[in-house]
Amino acid sequence: MRSQERKEALWKFGGYIFLLTLVALVMIPLYWMLVAATIPQSEFFAWPPRLIPGTEFLSNFQALQENVNFVRSMGNSIIISVSYTILSLILCSMAGFAFAKYEFRFKEPLFYFILATLVLPIQLLIIPLFLLMVQIGWTNSYLAVILPWAANPLGIFLMRQNMKAIPDSLLESARMDGATEFQLYYKIALPTMLPSLAALSIILFLNQWQAFLYPLVILQDPQMYTIPLALAELVGAQRVYFDQIMVATSLAVTPIFIVFLTMQQYFIKGILSGSVKQ
Amino acid sequence: MPAVRQASDQLRFLRQNLSQRLPNIPGIPYIYISPFFILFGAFLLFPTVYTLYLSFFEYLGVSNDILLSVTMGPIEVAIPQMANLEFVGLSNYERLLFRDSLFHRSLFNTSFIFFIQVPLMVGVGLATALVLDAKFIRAKGLFRTLIALPVATGLVAYSTIFLLLFNDQVGLINYILTQVGVEPVAWLGSAWGARFTLVIAVTWRWLGYNMIILLAGLQTVPQQLYEAAEIDGAGRWQKFRYVTLPQLRPVLLFVVVASTIGTFQLFSEPFVITGGGPSNATITIVQYIYQRAFESFDLGYASAASVILVAIVSVLSIVQIQYGGDE
Repeated sequence: MRSQERKEALWKFGGYIFLLTLVALVMIPLYWMLVAATIPQSEFFAWPPRLIPGTEFLSNFQALQENVNFVRSMGNSIIISVSYTILSLILCSMAGFAFAKYEFRFKEPLFYFILATLVLPIQLLIIPLFLLMVQIGWTNSYLAVILPWAANPLGIFLMRQNMKAIPDSLLESARMDGATEFQLYYKIALPTMLPSLAALSIILFLNQWQAFLYPLVILQDPQMYTIPLALAELVGAQRVYFDQIMVATSLAVTPIFIVFLTMQQYFIKGILSGSVKQ
Repeated sequence: MPAVRQASDQLRFLRQNLSQRLPNIPGIPYIYISPFFILFGAFLLFPTVYTLYLSFFEYLGVSNDILLSVTMGPIEVAIPQMANLEFVGLSNYERLLFRDSLFHRSLFNTSFIFFIQVPLMVGVGLATALVLDAKFIRAKGLFRTLIALPVATGLVAYSTIFLLLFNDQVGLINYILTQVGVEPVAWLGSAWGARFTLVIAVTWRWLGYNMIILLAGLQTVPQQLYEAAEIDGAGRWQKFRYVTLPQLRPVLLFVVVASTIGTFQLFSEPFVITGGGPSNATITIVQYIYQRAFESFDLGYASAASVILVAIVSVLSIVQIQYGGDE
């Protein structure tokens, strides 16, 4: 019995060591980002490197702002990501509602057709979208970045799956009470779907917040740069200022960390709903 | 004011009367789905077909010519040609598959990352999920949150951190190596160093994502199966081998397929961390497509490369599903 207990203790010890090592490996890059963002540029190439955060975040930020208009990039990212998320939520929930709660011709083929496009990588679309945006003169515009993935196949799939759970009797009795069809959607379907909408909006927002390849192609005017584009600009510059880059990076990741820490259940629901098996 | 109320009452009455007949009006669902399908058609369907079309042409420049003009009464729809093209048949594909050594190099680099990175990440992800699922571990929520934190970092943002960490001169990694008495490694200055840097970076970013999915999968394994196995005298390893693995199979398959697709689409990381270098040692397929399309404006040729990429990813996914799916 004693050897059994010792074995248990060993497993437990090994498990904790494993987890703590992983936590350390995850945290070191983030800690290093914080250190690099807060030490003065002059100490950057010091050897041995500084391991403790400094107090120069604000002056590094000022240097960053003078170098590239990073506040403007944050504004662009917020405008694009928020409008994209709202538009996509409306489109996907409306269409999902129709697919879940109405009968209409070509319903099944249309739905499976959308599902099939889930596997198409975005790289396939970049070149024609670029030509299209050049043709209609939309390069360097918010709309060009917001519209293309607003009709999101994953979004309509999730909405339809979840809206199927709304009981038909609930909709029927609302109809009896004289609700219009549109009221069924925004007074019954939407409110009951809030957790799923929250999870979907996190997926959508994050996808747009970190989108890189497509904006890189469409937005060439530095005034229109989103955060990832501004970061890439800094990295690709003649002289690379790591302190400024780390300030920009910490400003890019901190809002998402806060969302992650405060709304973790929706975050995880979002990750898991993307992995629903058919 | 009463007039307004009266009018609105009237409106509501009208609307109510109308709505009672609405469930049978077949138009309603189409009104719901049409905004989605308009954007879907314009920005997803059309570009997909157009890429395929473009892959048989050589791109000569933009064009404002009209490709097709449809007149429907007062409305005239003119579809512009968009590009000045010259038909080249299969020659884009032929060049890519047999003569383009840089494309082959990008295939090799991407495959290398795929073969090292996917097993590494799925393996460590599974181990983490198993430990977090074990009864004897406390503070599971805290561990899960901390390990999953990289999931919340943007692709370019986290790449810049790794660019700094693995910097050959001022990077923390080389500093730690010299402190423990190891020669500093030319992480970004050598081909293999740069490839491994990418593998490490991508694993850091996606480990937590895979761990979350695998953990959720583990939690759906019925407890009775473990109890039954215990009664039969199964040890830890046997329980894992004969209960956990078979039960987890669909989830593992999803994780492997998703990681495969993700690896073959790598772009931000090599773009930021290695720039595809040194001397194209880490250029990925998507990065190559980007260069051909938007640096040399070979749009037809780059489209053909995109089609090949989709074909590779589809074949790999199908093979994995065939091989790993239910017997």
